[in-house]
Amino acid sequence: MTTVIEVHGLMKRYGPHLAVDDVGFAVTEGEIFGILGVNGAGKTTTVECLQGLRKPDSGHMRVLGLDPRTARSRLRALVGSQLQSSALPDRLRVDEAVLLFGDGDRRSADRLLETWNLAGLRRSSFASLSGGQRQRLFIALALLNGPQVVFFDELTQGLDPLARREVWGAIRDVRDCGTTVVLVTHFMDEAEVLCDRVAVMRGGRVVDDGTPAELIERHARSTTVTFTRPASLDPAALAGLPGVDRVEPDGECIRVTGSNQLVAPVCAAALGDDHLGPPDLRVHHPELEDALIALISDTGADPRSEAADRTLEGVS
Amino acid sequence: MRSLWRLAVTEMKLFVREPMVLTFVFAFPVLTVLILGGVFDEDDPNFEGALPSDFYVAAYIGVVIAAIGLVMLPVHLASYRERGVLRRFEVSRYPRWALPAAWILVAMVIAAVAVAVLLVAGHLVYGLPEPDDLLGVAVGTLLGTFAFVSIGIALGMAMPSARSAQGLGMLLFFPFFLLGGAGPPPDAMGDPMSSIANVIPLTHVVRSIQEPWLDLGTPSGHLAVLVGLALLATAGWVALSARTAD
Repeated sequence: MTTVIEVHGLMKRYGPHLAVDDVGFAVTEGEIFGILGVNGAGKTTTVECLQGLRKPDSGHMRVLGLDPRTARSRLRALVGSQLQSSALPDRLRVDEAVLLFGDGDRRSADRLLETWNLAGLRRSSFASLSGGQRQRLFIALALLNGPQVVFFDELTQGLDPLARREVWGAIRDVRDCGTTVVLVTHFMDEAEVLCDRVAVMRGGRVVDDGTPAELIERHARSTTVTFTRPASLDPAALAGLPGVDRVEPDGECIRVTGSNQLVAPVCAAALGDDHLGPPDLRVHHPELEDALIALISDTGADPRSEAADRTLEGVS
Repeated sequence: MRSLWRLAVTEMKLFVREPMVLTFVFAFPVLTVLILGGVFDEDDPNFEGALPSDFYVAAYIGVVIAAIGLVMLPVHLASYRERGVLRRFEVSRYPRWALPAAWILVAMVIAAVAVAVLLVAGHLVYGLPEPDDLLGVAVGTLLGTFAFVSIGIALGMAMPSARSAQGLGMLLFFPFFLLGGAGPPPDAMGDPMSSIANVIPLTHVVRSIQEPWLDLGTPSGHLAVLVGLALLATAGWVALSARTAD
């Protein structure tokens, strides 16, 4: 697989604040690569450097083999972008926007509007579009001129659940057409649903990267089974079952935590004499969200960035 | 080249769709010049020997130019910055200079059309005299427009929001309008106001048009001020636009 984006040692400082601190990762051709983290983690600054919109203080960057610092205009023709806080003029119409930012060919503009379900809105002004329609237009604009890499920054922010799902489908279509996608988001479900690989950022640093499954495996291994205790069950017996780490009472309920292996034996043990089992039995498998919350809140994982945080607090 | 043309045409449409532009650049100068041109007696001595209506129509070319430079451009540009339209352009295939170049071109065209509308209205109502020095009038109008377009781009790039640009624009526009030659005639002003009027940039635009048109003098000093203003404002907006790239 070809590497299309390569970053290492990227640093960017705003005054005393170290926004990006020694960031490094690689993006392979044809994948959806997620950059995840809470607000202020340095995600947007990182992708803005990669798009040539900001100059980093130091570090190595290559996008499609080009340095965004020196080959900005050559990259413009190869890279598509949807930016976090950008807009179009209120009175610009949808078809005018596509002609303005595209190659001016009316037929290809029409095709693009059809693809993104915007054909009926051709004469609508940007101001009159709904949130979902605006995002569809931004995706369409980012894909004009057939880019090889597309950056999407907080694409589904402010969208209702239905519109988000619509946009997710659209991004998969983009990847399936062979375009590499870099997706910046703080929505963990979005990353789990869409991303082939993810880099997690915290305090300006990449704290881990890998496929969602790898991150779950490394940082959120525990499966939980909860249910109301049947009269016939002795909780102490559960502790000895394979895979079980902990058995805790939770009011009338019992919560059993451990590896995925515990599910079958615990469920079997929970079956009462009637063989129906507790009606409120729930199994919670680890999700990317669990891994990320562990990663983002795990204060012991990264002493260097902790030191940086303390320094910052000292300054402010 | 075709894409730059498309950019200019699109920007033109966006300016013209803005009600504030239609009001301030097209309607306001025509309406006021028709009123003011008829207020004074034809032999009023405060107009340096010219007819009041001739004096004002020449002066109101300056008002059109001021409305473009102080109201239309700053509000449009500041709203582009505020709302992230400029960022959208930064990731497009247009080079950095394309948008300012389009603004200059479009503002010059809008100025030409608005001045034509003003002249037609003035001619129909009052009848206008042949310019004494047509080339001089053209040079004054062009240079004045270019200076104010540059000021407008600099103001638009400096202002953080469309509202603040509109506030500052109005704050500059009305004193410029009242003291720059489009309000009371300079000869009717007392000393303090007259000396303030002399340093207002619009006065130099208006005099650069009036003097060659009505044979009131040679405006070389005023033209020199306009060249200086244009250079200063251009340097200002070039510096301001480079500021974003950190």
